[in-house]
Amino acid sequence: MDERRRQRHDREREHRREQLSDHEPIGGQPNVHDPAHPGIGDPEDPRLTMPAGRVFLVVLVALLTAAIFNADAMVRAGEGMKLGTTRDITLSVARPLADVTGFLQLNEPRKAFDLAFGQESKTASGTELETGSAAILQKKAKQEAKPVWRQPTAGQPLDVLVTGDSEADLVGLKMADLDTGDLLDVETVARNGTALTNPGFFNWELNAEQEMSSRDPDAVVMLIGANDGFNVEVDGELFAPGTPEWETEFARRAAVVMKTLGGDGERPVYWVPPPTARDQTYNEIYRSQNRAVERAAESVEGARYVDIFSTIGNGQYSDQVEVDGRKVLGRQSDGIHFNREGAEVPAGLVLAAMAEDYPVLEDAAPEPPKEDGRTKLGE
Amino acid sequence: MTFPTIEFAAFFTVVLFLSWLLMPHPRAWRPFILVSSWVFYGWLDWRWVLLLIGSTVVNTVFANAVARADTPAKRKQWVTIAVAANLTLLGIFKYLGFFVGSVDDALSSIGIGGLPVLQIVLPIGISFFTFQSISYVVDVYRGEQRPVALMDFAILQAFFPHIVAGPIVRVAEFVPQLRTPRDPRKVLAGPGIFLIAGGLFKKTVVADELARRIVDPVFSDPSAHSGFETLLAIYAFAAQIYCDFSGYTDMAIGLALLLGFRLPQNFDRPYLATSLRLFWHGWHMTLSRWLRDYLYIPLGGNRRGKRRTYINLMLTMLLGGLWHGAAWTFLIWGGIHGSALAGERWLAERYPRFHLPRWAAWAITFNIVCLAWVFFRSPDLGTAFGVLGQIGAGGPSPLVTPVLVALTVGAVAVQAVPRDFWQRAEQWFVLRPALMQGLALGALIVIADAAVGQQGVAPFIYFQF
Repeated sequence: MDERRRQRHDREREHRREQLSDHEPIGGQPNVHDPAHPGIGDPEDPRLTMPAGRVFLVVLVALLTAAIFNADAMVRAGEGMKLGTTRDITLSVARPLADVTGFLQLNEPRKAFDLAFGQESKTASGTELETGSAAILQKKAKQEAKPVWRQPTAGQPLDVLVTGDSEADLVGLKMADLDTGDLLDVETVARNGTALTNPGFFNWELNAEQEMSSRDPDAVVMLIGANDGFNVEVDGELFAPGTPEWETEFARRAAVVMKTLGGDGERPVYWVPPPTARDQTYNEIYRSQNRAVERAAESVEGARYVDIFSTIGNGQYSDQVEVDGRKVLGRQSDGIHFNREGAEVPAGLVLAAMAEDYPVLEDAAPEPPKEDGRTKLGE
Repeated sequence: MTFPTIEFAAFFTVVLFLSWLLMPHPRAWRPFILVSSWVFYGWLDWRWVLLLIGSTVVNTVFANAVARADTPAKRKQWVTIAVAANLTLLGIFKYLGFFVGSVDDALSSIGIGGLPVLQIVLPIGISFFTFQSISYVVDVYRGEQRPVALMDFAILQAFFPHIVAGPIVRVAEFVPQLRTPRDPRKVLAGPGIFLIAGGLFKKTVVADELARRIVDPVFSDPSAHSGFETLLAIYAFAAQIYCDFSGYTDMAIGLALLLGFRLPQNFDRPYLATSLRLFWHGWHMTLSRWLRDYLYIPLGGNRRGKRRTYINLMLTMLLGGLWHGAAWTFLIWGGIHGSALAGERWLAERYPRFHLPRWAAWAITFNIVCLAWVFFRSPDLGTAFGVLGQIGAGGPSPLVTPVLVALTVGAVAVQAVPRDFWQRAEQWFVLRPALMQGLALGALIVIADAAVGQQGVAPFIYFQF
């Protein structure tokens, strides 16, 4: 019996081999042993091989070359890393190197490549974002009447720029989905990993100037804050997130960027600070940011604070959100970002806020969350 | 950790140096490369390393149990348990959340919903190391592979160049290379450095640029774009996914070569194919041969008649589609490939003398592949049909620029460059002084970094699978 099975097994193997050689309907043969295979080469061919020591030398020279000519970019990359040892080591190497290469003008080739690829510099020193006065936070005088913006139609939709950090990505996508009447022309530009408190990596005031001058949208939606865990410096003193000084400085920076995005009241800016987070430490920082942005919006013409912190889940974090009456997994595994399905909720809240200025959008904005369905506006 | 980052550059420099230093001493080199690979893999989440170790140990036990079983029935029993265990692991991480959500939806419709919503994080690379585990145990069952030492299998599973997104490597391809120290006098540096440089260029200069400037804007809001923009976005996505995925695996193969190891090639000029069958000979080759050997052939392959062959082709491609995710879009992607594979097979059998001109066969194949990519790229069916419906739309096309057209056409056309050309270029490169080689590679890194700019390198598409 076993012998018959063995023979059958052998026949099947033989048949399989034939089959592979004859047809291979969905795939090629393994090629690791094929010295002639393109891209792999023959290890016995001396024209393709080098000694290991020399390989190491080539790699070392390559990385040193890249570090020297990319020192400024290394500093920016370091600034953009999460707080921790890797960031500290990167910056402790890159900063002095950037000083030296800058002095020797070795950063010029990289600047030329940036120019060739159309990359604009996103860092600058001495901007209002870093050094301005808190006087910007003085409440603006109440206007007699709300500003009147051009109302969109299907023929002439509203150009909306959705920007900010990575949270902007899916919310922008969902806003376009919810806009079934084609009243909005949504363009989403997410600047991943950016923050108001980290201008050494990405200066949002500078970026706002560049974006507004090149795109000139009718309205701006700004979602930012998830990466804002950095200390801020005020009058030479450092303040940690959660302190009153940090909150005031954050509000000031938000106001500076709101003003630039809004063009001093030329267009409305819907500013959306982060929602609740699973991690309580982040949650406290985000709560503080929400207070700060609410305060900033009260001081800038055309700025609106959109609250997705206390309106979604009554300010209590949950992986679930309610979409179309169904409880769905609405958050990503990091406990901060919304996922594709869940992003519909903040997108709806943004549209509800926009409908205050553009009543024709009321149909696009879904019912706000039932728990505590309010959309706070700055005005 | 991912390849084009500062962290990886530092990591690889140290590992490259120590690996060759320890290479003559296998008892020191093996734990070194294993721990280094675990550090690489656990950089984002150390718990994934525990999962990898668990999978490695369990599959070693299964492979030995299969080999030691004294009757065919017991061998079959063990291999069945092993495959089921691996698929269960993959299923929990990839499909359980979707399954529970679907059941909850169904129950809610009759008023008894309320199942908990599951937040399951998919460990990067789990599909790839699970497929390797299955092929190992099944090869032992088939008598094509003997069980190998736990340490050897652990190194194969964790080897950092390929753990995240392949290529999918078989024990027979890799473990024999561990048995003898690699020769430090003969490192395949020419192909290795060209693959790394080419992969970096494809990812940063082509794939990310196309994604940012045309593919993402069009697929995120199809109705806002003209027919020309939509058409370019479709072809550009074909170029993007090729440059993104093959860029990653090229870098993986190149890095392995610099460490002295050869991994199987994963792409071989797929967009020059004049049939779907040939496309799959050049696209994600290690997955397609895996599907062939561990799915298509066990289903019966072409042994059970023509009709069953067509069904097997369709089933294999549908399951290949579902492997990418539990979504209709992936199912349709697999369905298009399955139907086209079955269709061209039927045509070849029914009209054996009929041959299309080469250019026509290429154009049809390429456009079928691109049609399938529309579903693959779209987040949902509505978007996919929105994109397809927009092809005939008029309006201005500001996103259609000469640079984007050139990048798209170039990504396809470069596959027609004769292989000899690249080999001669590699030989020329190897003969240059080390300083010049290093400067050239360094210059390419500067250009690649300038191309991606401050937004950084976008995540590789296949990391999510």
